Amino acid sequence: MKKNDIILIISILVITLVAVLGLNIWQRQNTNDSAMAVVIIDGEEYASYSLSVNRTETIELPDGSYNVLKISDGYAEVTEASCRDQICVNHFHIHYSGETIVCLPNKVVVEIVGGEEDDVDGFTN
Amino acid sequence: MKYLKAASVLLIILLIFFIVAVQGGFLGKDEPAVTTEKTKYTATFLDIFDTRTEILGYGTTEEEFTEQAELMKERLVFYNNLYDIYNDYEGINNIKTINDNAGVKPVEVDPEIIELLKFSKDMYDYTDGRVNVAMGAVLSIWHEYREYGSNNPERAKLPELSELQAASEHTDINDMIIDEKNNTVYLSDPEMSLDVGSTAKGFACQRVMDYCRENGMDHILLSLGGNISGLGTRIDGTSFRIAIQNPDLDSPEEFIEKVDITDGQCVVSSGDYQRFYVVDGKVYCHIINPDTLFPAETFAAVSVLTDDSGKADALSTALYNMSLEEGMEFVDSHDNLEAMWVYHDGTKIYSKHFEESIPK
Repeated sequence: MKKNDIILIISILVITLVAVLGLNIWQRQNTNDSAMAVVIIDGEEYASYSLSVNRTETIELPDGSYNVLKISDGYAEVTEASCRDQICVNHFHIHYSGETIVCLPNKVVVEIVGGEEDDVDGFTN
Repeated sequence: MKYLKAASVLLIILLIFFIVAVQGGFLGKDEPAVTTEKTKYTATFLDIFDTRTEILGYGTTEEEFTEQAELMKERLVFYNNLYDIYNDYEGINNIKTINDNAGVKPVEVDPEIIELLKFSKDMYDYTDGRVNVAMGAVLSIWHEYREYGSNNPERAKLPELSELQAASEHTDINDMIIDEKNNTVYLSDPEMSLDVGSTAKGFACQRVMDYCRENGMDHILLSLGGNISGLGTRIDGTSFRIAIQNPDLDSPEEFIEKVDITDGQCVVSSGDYQRFYVVDGKVYCHIINPDTLFPAETFAAVSVLTDDSGKADALSTALYNMSLEEGMEFVDSHDNLEAMWVYHDGTKIYSKHFEESIPK
């Protein structure tokens, strides 16, 4: 075995290491970015929006009722809705994986999928 | 040269290990490569008890969890149909059927209705009449005004006290006649009606969790419209952690407290912040005090921690209708019962041992 062989092996090792570390970091960033606000209407997925892109979307239902979903700085909230109880509008903004905003009259659910976990399993209302 | 050879052999072995490690995912991911661990899943349903139901559980696969959640949902729908006071279901005699036949005839019902009504009567005695499922005549008046007021905010009105007082003549729980031998319920006062809003959700929640336990399920958290009941712990053995919603909806803090619950413990809150309507700028909630016939207003919310979900549901209503002194005395004189009262200014009052459940 020549000295060059050793250099080759070391180079392979270094390249693999860099590749693995790079992949690792890329995956981590990707996980943070992958938090989505999923909109479900009457059990069917209607749309999903990344939490990392600020936007305002109007969710329109066939009967003319609507919910306005606002995403800003990693949080999702319903800012306006046609329903009469306004529970979805009064609901706090959501961010952590599994959190939901529910509009019972419109059968609309906004759920966070992926992203950060919090330490809460359930909540009273 | 000998030294070089040994070094290269070592390097090659290292390289092999390295590649194996990368392929096995030991370096590429945070989780271990072994995937026999159970994953946490949640399911949300919107069509039971006119509220939202959340089931948290664990499964090796999503199908395994879904199967469990569907079983629970089936049971919940069964109770939903039995305990409904507004809708008829084909082939089922429910609470509405009993109400429709007030003063007419006894109605044969499922034993689970008998169980709920017996439990509700127990709660009436237990709370000295503060939880009264026979108060339908009064509650339906409020329900009507609340519905109208929510739909027409500018024309929202309060019912007349005389109207409420007249209705309250027909709220004697002893006129609810349960015949356990024949499985029938009869309301002997034709003007009376049952409203099981303060007991049915909690009772159904408890029954479903008992069913899960009997069938060997474990590590489940069920929230039936905020009636929360825990079976076992999280899969890692730590306690389920429940956040209690801040009744002040304008506050930047979503939760006002967190509690850790042990196996079988239940939490529920009663408050004026979710179902209410506004008349002349004043909030009127859906919890009606049997003494005044008007919505209770001392507290923004009362949360109860106890070992039975039906009890938790009934007692949070009862405590919401009591003064702090009365409520504190009530809580202190019963075992396995703790409470937290929240005033409108955000002040929190704990019963003796409530704070032991608050995570540090």
